[in-house]
Amino acid sequence: MHIASGFLSPPVWAGAAVVSAGALAASLALARRHLDDRRVPLMGVMGAFIFAAQMVNFPVLPGTSGHLGGGFLLGILLGAPLGIIVMASVLAVQSLLFQDGGIEALGANIFIMGVLPCLLGAAVRGLWLRPKPGAAAYAVTLIAGILAIVAGATGVILLLWLSDSLPRSISLVHALGLMGGIHAGIGVVEGVVSAAVVKFVLSTRRDAVLGPLGPDYAKGATQ
Amino acid sequence: MTSYNLRTLVVGAVIAILVAGVISYFASANPDGLEKAQEELGVAGPAHSPVEVPAVAFQEYNLKWIGEGFWSNAVAGVVGAMAVLAILLGVGRLLVRSKAKAPGAAGT
Repeated sequence: MHIASGFLSPPVWAGAAVVSAGALAASLALARRHLDDRRVPLMGVMGAFIFAAQMVNFPVLPGTSGHLGGGFLLGILLGAPLGIIVMASVLAVQSLLFQDGGIEALGANIFIMGVLPCLLGAAVRGLWLRPKPGAAAYAVTLIAGILAIVAGATGVILLLWLSDSLPRSISLVHALGLMGGIHAGIGVVEGVVSAAVVKFVLSTRRDAVLGPLGPDYAKGATQ
Repeated sequence: MTSYNLRTLVVGAVIAILVAGVISYFASANPDGLEKAQEELGVAGPAHSPVEVPAVAFQEYNLKWIGEGFWSNAVAGVVGAMAVLAILLGVGRLLVRSKAKAPGAAGT
């Protein structure tokens, strides 16, 4: 879902860059106050894993592929601030070293694949921090995972539309429907993979998942 | 570095290396969702002037000197994943250290 270079107009990419820079600055400030040693290795390996997973395109529809977004998963495992920091790092490396995602579109891509899905993931994080996450956790994660990808897809179309990068003959509704439809399929995979990875990490490093950077902190349930 | 943190790093890095270095070679080469949507909507190409980032070592996810191939893809994937890991360990370490130094930020 990386927006390539040349598809966003200067006001649009600059606006998105300002929004994402603000979100990243706020995330770093929160992390500076609350991050502890237990969570740094998990943050690092999750970033490496998401970079890796994004290289694995899987078929969705005939002639179409998709790959994991990862922001949603990070929002659940690490909370929104750390998730945003991780996604910004992944997207920056992809753009700078691998020409994947336009450099001027980096802010937009961080918003679409970082800020938005990380916030959605953080919203369902609480369900997984219960002693025994049940069927509700899986069901809500699947639905929210689809939503996270479709929301990002909607955002991409809106940014392209604002940038005058869609042909005039195409209606916005049609473009949103097409992009949303394709990404609903990718979203199902996102939801299923996210639930599986969260389950695995919780079973091995529960202490690093729990922590003071998420909804659990507000409730005082840090351990 | 506690032993469980070290184990997380090793296990996580091995999984990432396998996915980026091996499994990614078998990925679908079809256009991704956005590329496909742009194709179907008749987006011919960039409407604005693109900014070229010089290819330092990689042409997309392959070594630029070699082109597509298993090892070329594997090197790109492993280098990328390890670059992300290194950046995040560095940033994380800086954040934890600056917390320890900040006055009034005693624990969480």
